[in-house]
Formats: sequence, structure tokens, C-alpha cells
Amino acid sequence: MRNVGIIGVGYTPVFVSKRKDVNLAEMVSESVEAVFRNTGLSPDDIDAITFGNMQTFEGVNLPHLLMSEHIRAVDKPIIRIATGGTTGMSTLQAAYYYVASGIYDVVLAVSWEKQSEGDSQVGLAGIVMPEAMVMVQHGMDLLGGRGMGGMGGGSTGAAAYQAMSYLHHSGADPEHIDKMAALERSNAALNPYAHLRKKTTVEDVQATPFISWPLRYGHTCPTSDGATACIVASEEKAAKLADKVAWIIGVGCCTSDPSTANFIEGQMTDPADQTVCKIAAKKAYEMAGIEDPAKEIDLAELYDGFAHQSLMWLEKLGLCKEGEAHKLLDRGVLNIDGDLPTNPSGGVFSTNAIGSSAMNRATECALQIMRKIEGEHQVPKTVKKALAHGWGGLFQYVTVMILSDTPRKI
Amino acid sequence: MKAGERIVAHAVVPLDFTYNYRVGQYIERYIKALGEKKIMAVKCQDCGRVFVPPRKICGTCNRILDEWVEVGPEGTIEIFTIGHVKLNKGLVEKIDKPSIIAMVKLDGASSLLPCVINGLDPEKVKKGLRVKAVFKEPPEDSLFDLDHFEPVG
Amino acid sequence: MERKVAVVGYAMTRQASDIGVPRPIMLFELVKGLFDQMGITRDDIDTFVLCSNDFQCGRTISNVFEDTPVGAYMKDETKVEADGVMAVMYGAIRIMSGLYDTALVVGNSLGGSEFRPYLIMDYQLHPAYDRQLGILNEPVTAALQAKAYMEKYKITEDHLNKIAARLLRNAAKNPFALRGKEDATPEYIASSEYLYEPLRELHCYPFTDGACAVVLASDKRAKALTDKPVWIKGFGDSIEGYFLGDRDLSWSRSAKVAADRAYRMAGISNPAKEIDVAEISIKFASQEPIICEALGLFPEGSGAEVADRGLAEIGGEMPVCPSGGGLGAYPFSAMGLIRVAECAKQINGEAGDIQVKDVKTAVAHGQDGFCAQHNAVMVLSSEEG
Ligand SMILES: [Zn+2]
Repeated sequence: MRNVGIIGVGYTPVFVSKRKDVNLAEMVSESVEAVFRNTGLSPDDIDAITFGNMQTFEGVNLPHLLMSEHIRAVDKPIIRIATGGTTGMSTLQAAYYYVASGIYDVVLAVSWEKQSEGDSQVGLAGIVMPEAMVMVQHGMDLLGGRGMGGMGGGSTGAAAYQAMSYLHHSGADPEHIDKMAALERSNAALNPYAHLRKKTTVEDVQATPFISWPLRYGHTCPTSDGATACIVASEEKAAKLADKVAWIIGVGCCTSDPSTANFIEGQMTDPADQTVCKIAAKKAYEMAGIEDPAKEIDLAELYDGFAHQSLMWLEKLGLCKEGEAHKLLDRGVLNIDGDLPTNPSGGVFSTNAIGSSAMNRATECALQIMRKIEGEHQVPKTVKKALAHGWGGLFQYVTVMILSDTPRKI
Repeated sequence: MKAGERIVAHAVVPLDFTYNYRVGQYIERYIKALGEKKIMAVKCQDCGRVFVPPRKICGTCNRILDEWVEVGPEGTIEIFTIGHVKLNKGLVEKIDKPSIIAMVKLDGASSLLPCVINGLDPEKVKKGLRVKAVFKEPPEDSLFDLDHFEPVG
Repeated sequence: MERKVAVVGYAMTRQASDIGVPRPIMLFELVKGLFDQMGITRDDIDTFVLCSNDFQCGRTISNVFEDTPVGAYMKDETKVEADGVMAVMYGAIRIMSGLYDTALVVGNSLGGSEFRPYLIMDYQLHPAYDRQLGILNEPVTAALQAKAYMEKYKITEDHLNKIAARLLRNAAKNPFALRGKEDATPEYIASSEYLYEPLRELHCYPFTDGACAVVLASDKRAKALTDKPVWIKGFGDSIEGYFLGDRDLSWSRSAKVAADRAYRMAGISNPAKEIDVAEISIKFASQEPIICEALGLFPEGSGAEVADRGLAEIGGEMPVCPSGGGLGAYPFSAMGLIRVAECAKQINGEAGDIQVKDVKTAVAHGQDGFCAQHNAVMVLSSEEG
């Protein structure tokens, strides 16, 4: 096993609803060009590529084939990874394993989505479509069926169950969701690579209509077009190629059964339970040698498709006690200048090119550690250890990555 | 249920979604030129190759391509196949009259362009045959403005 | 290689045009059967690598529906959307990272009963160019590739027929293959209808359902799990550009680069001598000489001679696809995994009627894309060394 670090990050110039000026491959190539520009490296320095997106969103099967030249992959090894919402981090973890194994020294990880070209709710409906169709054929009432009710609002419908359960168990108020939403949107306003960049107040959030109680329109993430490229390297190569490195000191991933997390086949269990998140975090902490995450983690970038989730994940990840996240929020601990800045980038909640969303959590942590944040959202405190989190599947798949300013002792 | 025991009920779920693709900067310019009966390609200033259809990157040279050149409209058949079927949504269907699909090297291009050849008896198609582009009149601002190829003369 | 990795167990379903059970049941029976056969449980597996494809499954995030059937519940799992050899490679890399000692790699595809393979391939075309125009599709591209090779090296349709006949005869002896014919002759192949010249129906892969599972282990764990570990000695993969018109279709650059990587890692300098059997993924008979030559198994342009002299037969100089390969069955995501498992069978002397004599070293190959745009190669051996 050897140490692996992130040595460079590149984003498309913007993350927006519609990139009308470029096609899929042209858009993705911009992120790859950015990472080479930012690092001063060239494709000749890259040994292999890991690549991910959720292909049904664009309706292209194995899109790495189509854009092999655009991502500078010709004559190189390339692997395509896709795990749903977590795709970006799974892709980055693949790059981690590639280097840690000793097979390759410098690996480029690319993740992206161009949601404007398809209908993302169609892509998401595709998750449950086969089951739904079978159930309809067997006479199930789609709208009235207790289990399937969540489908009514696409992924928001299902997330509403989770938010409700979370509020009930944590003692937080719906107003805390408004507050978290306002905090993250205001962070996003400082981030040039965020999609929704408007300084937002609690009142602004409360003025938006409910989609499915307790979730308002102002609690939900946008759909974005954008791509992220990230270069990781072995310790030896990093010393030669980079001035600053964010070391990957812990990785974790856990999946459970889709039917235990939500509404498949009429079952309805607690989507706010998230034992998977606890298991994934435990693995990552063990690997990173972290005993008390609440004390040792300086910053968190969490995958929050919906604003209540940032609070929920803080608890599940052990960054605070269960039921305490909203108290940290009230005390300003989660602010950019707080003790535990949470989603200083604005989170997935403000920028969501799905395939890249989970990778962006890790790249934001890396840039915060390296103090290379472009924009005004660099946190004032020194970040020694940061936690990046990805969430996906059918509410039941979680990835965690711990980044640090110092490599692990091996 | 055990392996080998047959399922009698299949759920047939057509997944026929509509996507709205941006053609991108390069194909956009290519399509516009087709309306003027011109086939535009991009040239790599490093390796000198001329690519059609045009695209942003020469993957071999890691170069963003920005030199536009006109190619064709005549060219030479390099590889061809005679089709006895067509595919309809992935299903093989017989056709009455065989079709000719060829890779044509347009004059001035390095790439071979996949084309449909009309106006030629399939028995007579051969490597090296000269063909020319036939454009749609009036143009409709789509890729189909380059309608097909046919033998020269 | 710092950490050695071995294949310590494998199982495959029969490959069929309709496997007859739903995917979760197919996977559960396959994996549970493999665990039982090995005397292990899912707790012995540290990491799970699934190999499937959302297009093939017709659903987004297809892996999460396979997690429970394969035993990944509350475990580490990821999904490779590429050929099965890539998934085995990633499983091996995860073990080599030192974080895991065992991995289960499972690939499945229901191309026979659930989706239309040629349609799924259409979705790989450039959506704003080739897919709009509708000129290219998978058999057209394969026919053009076949012509490019055949014209350059003066091989005839009769040679293609010989290749296809050999593969169907092999497949007839392989109880897992979908399509075989014991007495297949070149004339029998020639009696099938043309799709796109020179390709006839029997030169093309059959639409197949199937799944395959492989257990990998580190050198530390391998010997506790099996008496006959099959060592992964080397692997490599490579991709080339998308546009067919800019590739030399008469050979495979990416297969050559991939093989060079794998052989360098495995310490193989003369593949034609050092490799005893090859299991390659070909979708059309015409791809066999192209891939074999790129892998250095036969000299460049030798397709005619190999076919005429029967060099690739089970008893030949360099047996290729004793299982029948892609003409016997081609279950997309499971294809490469099956190649790895067939190599392991050959090395362990468990291949029955298709057993090649004295196999020490075998090569498995997988591909993705039109005219094999992306290729992966893996060298397996009985020797740990
Ligand atoms: Zn060039």
C-alpha cells in the first residue's frame, strides 16, 4: 500500500442549467484542459484514466468511447465506473486504488453530467421503472399505492419521507431546513463554480412553495451541466509534480438493499436510518486513524441533494451527536468561518451535475486543504483533515473519503 | 423459482425517451457549410491530418483544432459493404434492394467518411471508385443536407 | 507486482437465449452456488465489483438491485461499466492496493431475452452525428472492419467460414455455450444469409443471456481458499479514437497496446511461444485474426494460413477459444469474465471436452466499442512466480 494524493483539480468554466454552446464531449474536455492548465501537466504525464457519469441521463451508452480523444485518453488505460449519485467519488476512489496498488503512478479521474440534454427525472424514474411497470401490470395503483407514493414527486417525493423522519428523530424544526438552505446558497454565491449563486436569506427560502412537506422548492438541488477532472499521484510522483498535495488518507463505501431504504415492492422502512453511512464512515476513519471525528475533522463537504440532508449526514458521520446538528447550525458552527465549516462550496444543493457531484465534494476538500480555492469561499481556519461524502443508489449507497494535509504513516 | 423453470410473464417496458442533443461548435459549423454545398473539415497543425466530420481535439497530438479547410465534394471509395438487411431499432430486417455503405476518402481529407452510395449497381462497386457528394435542395440545415454519394460521371 | 492476486473460484450460468429466471434469482443462485462450492460465505468477501450496464439493464443505477443477490448487503461494492476483463482487473487492483484480501467480481447481461444488443450498440454512436445519420450500426462497422483486414491480407470469405465453423464445433463441446454445432463446416456457415457482406448470420455473435462470477484473493489468502490458485500475472488495457474513419481497421492498435502492457507486467517476451491457450472476446468471426495478431499469438496478416492449417484448433499450435468464444455466446458484461473463468478452467485442467493439453499460461481478452475500440488483456498462470 502506498500514499496517494490529489495534486490538481479542474472544473468546466461554469456549472449551469444549460450549456447550449458545446456538445457532451466538448464540455467534458474543458474540465480536462482546466486540470492540465492548473497543474502545468500534460497528457504525457497521465498513466491511466478513470471516468464516470450516469449514462441514462444523456442517453449515451459508454460515453468514454465517444470522447476518448476529448479526455486525452488515446493509447491509455481507461475504466468506466458508475454507481449512481456517488459515481464521482466511486470514480475518484478507483483512481485512488489504481495508484495505491502500485500499478499506475499518476491517474486522471473525470466525472460529469450534462443534464440539459435529457430529462433527469426520466433518468431517475428509470431506477424504479421496471418494478413500477410490473406492479402496474399486477393492478397496483400508482398514485394511491402507499409504497409508490414517493414516486409522485420524482426523487423529491422520496426525500420528503426522509426529511420527515429526520425531523421527528432529531428534534429539529422545519425552519432549520430553511436555515441550512440559506446558509449553503449564500456560500454558493461566493463560489464561481457553483450553479445557483444568489445570496439567500431564510425568508427567501420560506417564500418558495412546498413540493412535498416538509420540503420546499427552495430545499432542492438544481440540475446542472458541468464536469470535473482531478489528478491523483503516488507520494513519489507528487513530490516531483506538485507544490501542494491533499492526501487521501481514508476511503469507505457501503451499500445495502434498495428495498430496506425506501419504497420498492411496497416496503416502507426508514430512509433516514442510513446505517450504510455509519459503516462507510467507520471504515474511512479506521483507515485514516481517526478516533474522534467530531474533534479531528476540520471541514465537511456533504452530498445534500436536499437541504435537510446536510444536518442528517453530520450526525450519521459522527461529526456531532445525533440530534445536535441543528444546534451547531444555530450556533454558527457550520458557517464558513465556524469551527466545522459545512459545504462551504454550497454543496450539491447548489450545484448538481450528478455524475460529478460526489467527486466535487472531494475536490472542494482538497482545494480547501491546499488553500487553492478560487472564489471567496476559502475557509479562514487551517484545514488539516476534511471529510468528503457521497450519497446515491436508492438512498442506500454511501461513499466517504478523508483528505489530509499530511500523508498517512505506512 | 429455480433456474431452468421458465418465466411465463415478461414485463415489456419500452424505454423510449427523448433527448435534446447539442451538436456542439464543430458539427454546427459543418452543418452550416453543408447548406452552401461545402464539406468543411479541421486540420491538425501538428500531424497535418485533416479530419471529417470535424471535432475539437486531435487525440494523438493533444491539440485543439482550429484550422478549417474545405474537402471533397469528390472522393474515392476505400472500403465498402453491401447491405442485405437494415436495422430497425436493433432488429434485423430484410431489404429488397441491396444497399451500399462505403468509407469514402474525400479529396483533401485524411479521414474516411462513412457514406451511403446511391445510383450504382452493387455488383459494380469496387475499391478506388470515384464518387461525389449530392446535397439536398433546398437545404434544411441538418446533417441530412449531405444526402448521399453517387458515382462521378 | 508487490502483491500477487489469484483467481480462487469461478462459476458461470449456462449461456442461453432466455435464461428463464429473473436477474436477481440468476445472480443469487450463481453466487450462492459458488460460495457453497468453495465452502465460504459472503463474509469472506471484502469487496464486491459488479460488472453490468444501465442500458443493458434498462434502469438507472442497476448495481444497487444486484447488491443483495450477490451478497454485498452492507458491504463495499462498486460497478464497472465496461467489459468483464476490466472488472476482474479492477478487482485485482483493489486487492493489490492492500485494503482488501478478497474480491467477488460478478458480471451479467440478458442480451438474449431482455434487450436488443444491436440497439444498445446504437446508443454508443455519437448522438449528434452518427446516431442521427443512421448509416452506421454494429454489423455495418464489423463488415467494414472485416473488409479492411481481408483486402489488406488477401483472405477470403471461405477463411471466415472456416473460423466460424471451428468456433461452432468448439462451442458444441462446451456445455455452457449457447450456440454450437458438432459438425459445422465452412459450407454450413456459407449457407446462412448475408447481413452486410462479407458477414453472414453465422459469422455474428448470438444474442445471449448469461452471468459469471469470479473470486479473487491476495497471495496471503489464496492458498487457504483453494488448492489450485490461478495467478493473475499481468493485465493492461487501452483505448483508441472514436471515429472509425481515422482508425486503421485492418488491425487493432488498442489491442496491441493493451497486450504489450499485460505482457510486460507478466514478463512475457514471446507470446506465441509462452502462451498455451487464448480466450478472446470476438463479436464477429472476422475479428479473430485481427485480435489474435494484435495479441502476438500469430504473425501479422496470417489469418488465411491459420484458418487453412487449423492452427487455432483445440489441438493446434495456438488454441484460440476452445470454448467457442463469441460465436458460441456473447453475454455482454459477462463476456470478459467468462473468458477469465475459461482460462482458469484450462489451467486447472477442468475444461472437459474442450481441454487443451498442458496449459500453464493463458490469455484472456475483452473488448468494448465499435470494431473493438477499447481492449483489455489479462495473462493468467498456474505458476505463482
Ligand atoms: Zn494531430
